[in-house]
Amino acid sequence: CLKVMESASRQQALASLASIEEPMDLIRVSLDEIVHVKMRNERELRGRLHAFDSHLNMVLGDVEETVTTLEIDEETYEEVYKATKRTVPMLFVRGDGVILVSPIGSSQAA
Amino acid sequence: MSSTRQTPSDFLKQIIHRPVVVKLNSGVDYRGVLVCLDGFMNIVLDQTEEYINGQLKAKYGIAFLRGNNVLYISAQKRKA
Repeated sequence: CLKVMESASRQQALASLASIEEPMDLIRVSLDEIVHVKMRNERELRGRLHAFDSHLNMVLGDVEETVTTLEIDEETYEEVYKATKRTVPMLFVRGDGVILVSPIGSSQAA
Repeated sequence: MSSTRQTPSDFLKQIIHRPVVVKLNSGVDYRGVLVCLDGFMNIVLDQTEEYINGQLKAKYGIAFLRGNNVLYISAQKRKA
């Protein structure tokens, strides 16, 4: 059961799904869209996809990078996850660090 | 259930549009419906759920997984 509010963007996502024959098609369809990129070393990016190639090298615009680190308090030995964010107007991402790419607007959770 | 010999690409053709589990080298699990994949094991999943240490961590509507990170793709056995 889909909520009415979500169904519009979901329909859009399903329409683009129909045109996807191979995985690189999803990236092609996501050009000029905002994408969520999960990378090695606990890094995540959110930005607009301007360009890509078969290595998954990408050019992202207006991108916010989140680096998540696990810090351990020396006294209490408490484990704390710390997220460090920064914004970069234009970024070249080397493809070998990429784990996952997902167009935002198709996702259900923020 | 197939008892005849089949190649990996036959398997991959069979499991398209089925719910699958994709495990990455890092140990992270992704569950979703298999949309397509290619010879590099790049995968596109629909209704993707990300499980880390067995816990649901995130949901992605449609996700592309880069093939070099993929350890395995698993589909539940189901009678047609």
